[in-house]
Amino acid sequence: MENFASLLHGFQIALTTHHVALMMAGVLLGILVGVLPGLGAPNGVSLMLPLTFSMDPVSAIILLTSLYWGALFGGSTTSILFNIPGEPSSVATTFDGHPMAKQGRATEALSFAFLSAGFGAMAGVILITLLSGWVARFALKFSSPEYFAVYFMTFASFVGLGGASPFKTIVSMAMGFAFASIGMDSVSGNVRLTYEFDVLLAGVSFLIAVIGLFGIGELLQTMEEGLRFEGVKAKVSPRDVLATALKLPRYWLALLRSSIIGIWMGITPGGPTAASFMSYAMAKRSSRNPEKFGKGEPEGVISPETADHAAGSSAMLPMLALGIPGSATAAVMMGGLMIWGLNPGPMLFVERPDFVWGLIASMYLGNVVAVIVVLATVPLFASILRIPFSIIGPAIVVVCFIGAYTVGNKAFDIWLALAFGIVGYLFKKLDYPIAPLVLAMVIGDKAEDAFRQSMIFSQGSLSIFWSNPLVASLMAIGLALLLFPLIGSTRRGIRKLVTARAAKA
Amino acid sequence: MKRFCIAAGAALASVIAAVVPAAAWQPTKPIEFVVTSGPGGGTDNFARIVQSIITKHKLIEQPVVVLNKGGGSGAEGYIYGKGAKGDAHKVVFGTNNAYLLPYVAKLGYKFSDLTPVSALALDEFLIWVKGDAPYADAKAYVEAAKAKPGSLKMAGSQSKDTDQTLTAMIQEATGAKWIYVPFQGGGAAATQLAGGHVDSNTNNPNENIGQWKAGQVKPLCVFSPVRLAKSDPVHDGKGWGDIPTCKEAGLPLEAFQMPRTVWLPAEVPADAVAFYADVMEKVSKTPEWAEFIARTAQTARFMKGKEFTDFVAKDEAANAKVFKSEGWVVN
Amino acid sequence: MISRFQAEIATALATLAFGLVIVNGAREFGIGWDSSGPQPGAFPFYCGLLIALASAGTIATTIGRRMGGSAALAGIFLDREQGKRVLAFFLPMLGFIVLTVTLGMYVAMLLYLVFAMRFQGRYGWLPSLATAFGTAAFFYFGLEKFAQVGLLKGPVEAMLGL
Repeated sequence: MENFASLLHGFQIALTTHHVALMMAGVLLGILVGVLPGLGAPNGVSLMLPLTFSMDPVSAIILLTSLYWGALFGGSTTSILFNIPGEPSSVATTFDGHPMAKQGRATEALSFAFLSAGFGAMAGVILITLLSGWVARFALKFSSPEYFAVYFMTFASFVGLGGASPFKTIVSMAMGFAFASIGMDSVSGNVRLTYEFDVLLAGVSFLIAVIGLFGIGELLQTMEEGLRFEGVKAKVSPRDVLATALKLPRYWLALLRSSIIGIWMGITPGGPTAASFMSYAMAKRSSRNPEKFGKGEPEGVISPETADHAAGSSAMLPMLALGIPGSATAAVMMGGLMIWGLNPGPMLFVERPDFVWGLIASMYLGNVVAVIVVLATVPLFASILRIPFSIIGPAIVVVCFIGAYTVGNKAFDIWLALAFGIVGYLFKKLDYPIAPLVLAMVIGDKAEDAFRQSMIFSQGSLSIFWSNPLVASLMAIGLALLLFPLIGSTRRGIRKLVTARAAKA
Repeated sequence: MKRFCIAAGAALASVIAAVVPAAAWQPTKPIEFVVTSGPGGGTDNFARIVQSIITKHKLIEQPVVVLNKGGGSGAEGYIYGKGAKGDAHKVVFGTNNAYLLPYVAKLGYKFSDLTPVSALALDEFLIWVKGDAPYADAKAYVEAAKAKPGSLKMAGSQSKDTDQTLTAMIQEATGAKWIYVPFQGGGAAATQLAGGHVDSNTNNPNENIGQWKAGQVKPLCVFSPVRLAKSDPVHDGKGWGDIPTCKEAGLPLEAFQMPRTVWLPAEVPADAVAFYADVMEKVSKTPEWAEFIARTAQTARFMKGKEFTDFVAKDEAANAKVFKSEGWVVN
Repeated sequence: MISRFQAEIATALATLAFGLVIVNGAREFGIGWDSSGPQPGAFPFYCGLLIALASAGTIATTIGRRMGGSAALAGIFLDREQGKRVLAFFLPMLGFIVLTVTLGMYVAMLLYLVFAMRFQGRYGWLPSLATAFGTAAFFYFGLEKFAQVGLLKGPVEAMLGL
């Protein structure tokens, strides 16, 4: 109840005209930043940072977090409309979101995405409110073996999805791991796999790969099929937004499950990206019609979006309470905290309750504001698809390569994005799954680091992964997730064999 | 008359000579601050504070843009600086890694690809242990490590970087032996210590202050020649100035500090170097800078010209000695 | 015309080569297991090995199914008409990139958009030029001026003093 009183106090701080106006401004700027290529949330936040030096910390963090929510929404918009994920965590949204847009259901896809994202964020904030003290203590229990176990769980839930050839799945995933290991290896201090090319020193950015594999690859395929975006025919009316909202409660189970996955991944070190992938995988696994996934199934949009935002908002807690930034954006915000004269850490809650609870209250309000603002933009964005392809196609090309260049200000990245585009096109046509490659690229090096740190801890003994109840149960869940589909398919195979024999006999 | 003319001419020439160098080089387009760390890193904070002070006090006419190039432990930024040879509109911000990285990794730049400008501060290193650890002082902790060689764990950020170098120096000086565990950054090293997964770390003050305030960790000693500046109490009535130096605490180690440095690409006009050194000197005298230094418990120390290059030579030699004895040198 | 079989084999050979390059690059750092766990090269080494082995697996199964007379494999991967459409999109894009690295992004953007709209989309000169200049101006003010994010610039921008 103490938390509840603090929250009410927080609302008094956050609910002023000045702060609500800041939220609106932040969200709008964020959407712009999220939609524009090459800006993205971390850039947007560092852009606004100098402006906040003269503000009081509560106003400053409200502006920056609102901008962050806005950018996340903007990122989902480009994922759905153009198959270009603005943030790693919105990759899973493309799987079903973009097919929906191509079928002329962009309004529906966008509305589902925003509403479920808002739902997920709310779930995350409610958790922070109720359990802040407990979560902060729980997160301290995590060390490298537990980190590795969480990443392992994510991979395990994703392997065995989809009907692609196992060889092709392995190629795709191992390529992702290989790309992730290019550049500086922080555990040994070696520069790996750069073949003495300076341009590879910073590694291959995940964003470059995504721009190529998804954005350019998709365009090439669209051209080959001679298709235009069918959004041309789609009518866009604000009423559709409302109609979609009314359909949302039907997916209560997906919303609930995804929120739980998201919150869990947010307070453990998995983070929003792992959360959205895992949530998508679990939705497909538990669905009665898994074959519909990837072809425009609303649940395939709702699940990753809910989990992404649930994780994103609940991850603010470890950031404030422990001082670990969960993402690049959080790292910039933490830099901001220091410049404002605040030290993230366990004492922040005690020393500056006005700041912490003002922020938490602003997360409630900010998300409501963000969802309303962003829903209002749906008709606008959905009608972008009505522009003829001979204009929008080249425009997307320009946008993709601007994005590729601005990631690291390197001309080399432009060529790299083109190469990934060709790979994406070939892989898609030949039924290589791309998702495992992307997932491996995002959390591959983190998983490797965690594994090798664990080995340093235990001096080379694998038993560390069963050394305490927490890590042991995480590993057990991971193994179960890995083995269940295998058992299932073997059983099905045997049954088929048996019935075939019986039929023969 | 003639003599007067000569004298006047000489006087005029000396006046011009005195005036011209200061105005000889001025930026003519926006300036890039190249940061050799990712957003939120120590070097990033350093560069952004300098940027905000320059903007606030209008020390440079042109706009200043910050660019993060933190790949390869910062090598990406230095290589970018190498590529900008002769371009005095690109200023590279870093630490001592500018001259130390080429020792431990095969990289596409040499220290001679950079022109030294100045250093603005020295960041400090401390030995931190868990708040409820039984060690009263540094000596007791080192004795405990000696008693169980190779079983206590020391956390730090990155590999073959300052934290691991310092750990190697402590081992060399005391004969104790730790397991060094490299994490992504000082923040992770801090939480790992607070959670009791490692026994100690060698974090900078700024990286552990949050945990110290909560009493989850405590400092044993600081690797500085003199005690840190007095400050408000952080935890349990103790402030930064109350922490003994490691030498006082009985560790035979003189000092270990990390300079916050500013560089230009090679082959830039000497006047440009003087221009930036002058700007940085002005920055180091502002109240905002003093406030930043106090908040992060660094030691303010402005160095330029020969003083700076002498410091670099000394620091490079001391670190290279450790790299050689640890077998980290690559070429 | 490219058959599905040819495309499968060519792609698998390419990934096989990629795997071998990774294997080769990783050997430098040690691939064994020492007292503190796997050596730095071990993880990429086994990834490269996996890529190579799985690519070989794809080649083997593809050839196997081809011998078995799989209809899907004999089918068409890309016919002439499709190939033309892809190239009509791909080549201007390649041109855009070449122009970007030589003349800078803004000039490349202008030429590319005008080309695509005027000659491929068959729009008039006025809308083509207006769209191209509008887009370039939008990015110039949005990125360069407002966000202070610089794009790749070439000799033309230097001449104009931008």
